[in-house]
Amino acid sequence: MNNGHTHILLIEDNPGDADLVRLRLVEGGSTVEVSSVNRLADGLASMAKEPPSVVLLDLNLPDSRGADTFRKVLEEAPGVPVVILSGQDDEVLAMKALHQGVQDYLVKGDITSRHLDRAMRYAIERQGLTRSLEMSRQQQLEFKNQFLSHVSHELRTPLTCIHQFVTILLDGLAGDINPEQRYHLGTVLNSVHQLRAMIRDLLEATRAESGKIRIEPRCITIGDLIQQAVSMMAAAAKEKQVGLEVGLDTRIPFVYADPDRVLQVLINLIDNGLKFTPPGGSVMVRACMVEADPNMVYLSVADTGRGIGPEAKALIFERLYQDPNSIDNSCAGLGLGLFISKELVELHGGRIWVASEVGNGSTFSFTLPLYSLAKLLSPVITYEGRLRDAIVLVKVELTPLSNPPRSNWKDVCRQSLHTLHRCVYLDKDLVLPVMRNAGSNETFFVAASTDLERSEIMMKRIREQLEAGAGFKAAGVLKVSATAVLLPSARDGQPLEELVRAVAERITETTMLALASKPDLENASGHRSAMKN
Amino acid sequence: MDKAKILIVDDDPDLRRALKIRLRANHYDTVQASDGYSAISVAQKEQPNLIILDLGLPAGDGFVVLERLQNSDTLSSIPVIVLSARDPLSNEQKTLQAGATAFFQKPADNNELLDVIRATLPGTWRGTALPS
Repeated sequence: MNNGHTHILLIEDNPGDADLVRLRLVEGGSTVEVSSVNRLADGLASMAKEPPSVVLLDLNLPDSRGADTFRKVLEEAPGVPVVILSGQDDEVLAMKALHQGVQDYLVKGDITSRHLDRAMRYAIERQGLTRSLEMSRQQQLEFKNQFLSHVSHELRTPLTCIHQFVTILLDGLAGDINPEQRYHLGTVLNSVHQLRAMIRDLLEATRAESGKIRIEPRCITIGDLIQQAVSMMAAAAKEKQVGLEVGLDTRIPFVYADPDRVLQVLINLIDNGLKFTPPGGSVMVRACMVEADPNMVYLSVADTGRGIGPEAKALIFERLYQDPNSIDNSCAGLGLGLFISKELVELHGGRIWVASEVGNGSTFSFTLPLYSLAKLLSPVITYEGRLRDAIVLVKVELTPLSNPPRSNWKDVCRQSLHTLHRCVYLDKDLVLPVMRNAGSNETFFVAASTDLERSEIMMKRIREQLEAGAGFKAAGVLKVSATAVLLPSARDGQPLEELVRAVAERITETTMLALASKPDLENASGHRSAMKN
Repeated sequence: MDKAKILIVDDDPDLRRALKIRLRANHYDTVQASDGYSAISVAQKEQPNLIILDLGLPAGDGFVVLERLQNSDTLSSIPVIVLSARDPLSNEQKTLQAGATAFFQKPADNNELLDVIRATLPGTWRGTALPS
């Protein structure tokens, strides 16, 4: 109790019951201050102004009834202990309240002063304990994060040394080695790679747990990404004598996702598939559209391995889950891969699941959202239920000074995109997701809710900020231009969504046109880069 | 023909030795420094064509070294590749902003590192690293 002074807020609409509680408090001789209100709204307002030591709460009030009453109080003031005053007949409800965070309940008509005094003191003490428990849980999580980050750094240093000298031996830089030595060193190198992956997963899982993983979605071609994942895993599949195939639905539109993260999920699932499939089996990666769910793309990785039992299926996406059958063979890992995959897929707004039968292989599936410019544009180009008055498309072109560009060109471009995001207003401008990444010229677009005249200010800011970026001036030149987007004239009763879609289509056309017509330096110098559309 | 000279800055002597073997095998000359302070003095004396820099260093960490290099008339044009065990998530952007050309997390892939070294070296040196 703060400063020995206890302030009780009594929320009770029945004057008789309120008086009775006051009477009991006085009888007990407790030095408490009681303020009472008879509506929930007044109670919440009073708690917001000055949190009481404890709330005595009747559940049936003029403006709220039953479970809603305590839920609202717990939601508004999660740190304040609540004791419920219940009638004889709603003890079931009172028990439910205890499970949801209410500290205690007293049955009206059964209240003695000793009873009341004790209930309140205990409620306050218990609430204090809960609070310090939560605080130490937070501290522990923070400590664990720091610890793991430190450990992973410290583990990497000796691992780097092992890696360096093993590759020096393998590459013959310290003299010739015979085939048997080469074979053994190859085994060491494999273990180094495994250890490196484990250290990475350890950090990644901690980040996932504390909500620190960030994704940077862009507009991507999922087929290319699957091909990339499969070619990265081809050597491992060959070594295990497991077939690795791709089945692609060619009608899949662009997907809105972080390519690095999706690649991580795909590799994780393929790696798992290969691990649990015996030689002669196969792993199949598919992507398709499903009619019932037109806004998502469905990806799956199916293997012909030994399958998963029902009890394992329920736990397989949990952190640190290990298949008990895999401990004794070489399939064991940290049990973090699927947990991380699940977190990554869910960050994209998708879901992940597994279908499997023991002896009949497993199929891991996940969904990712399709790219929809209209959906991204809608919150920035609409205002109070209508389209903004003017929308401008700002084009930001980055051209490398040399051909081929300096080695840090990709980094300069990435850095510039980050900076560009900081040059716009989040609520009324949108940096369009990057459409393609072929060739060395990089073009970004911003849809801005402004007119041509005022867009000059934004363009000036973009020029200054981007050119101030590290290494920009040495690596490339910048061109910023703007065109007005012709807005559809709203016919009476035309739904806003349709207007937004029309704007999105115009913007898409303009950007496609701009990208197609740009002078193609690559072609001139012989690097033919295929358009990925 | 002269070889390109690379300065290796790392406090781990074993790793310096390993990098030296790897770089010499690829026809580069190497010089070394084991802390932030000597990194600058060795750079001034040796005028390397490229610097491979660790972040966790005694006597001025990698960021201090980057800042001093940037502020020096004679050293600011030398490209720097950061090679560190630290988390790229919280360090990659920071090092690039501080003037580094590239960030590699340890343990780095040898071929990727050599590719970037080759591409980063100023024009006249680019060809010399390739085995004749």
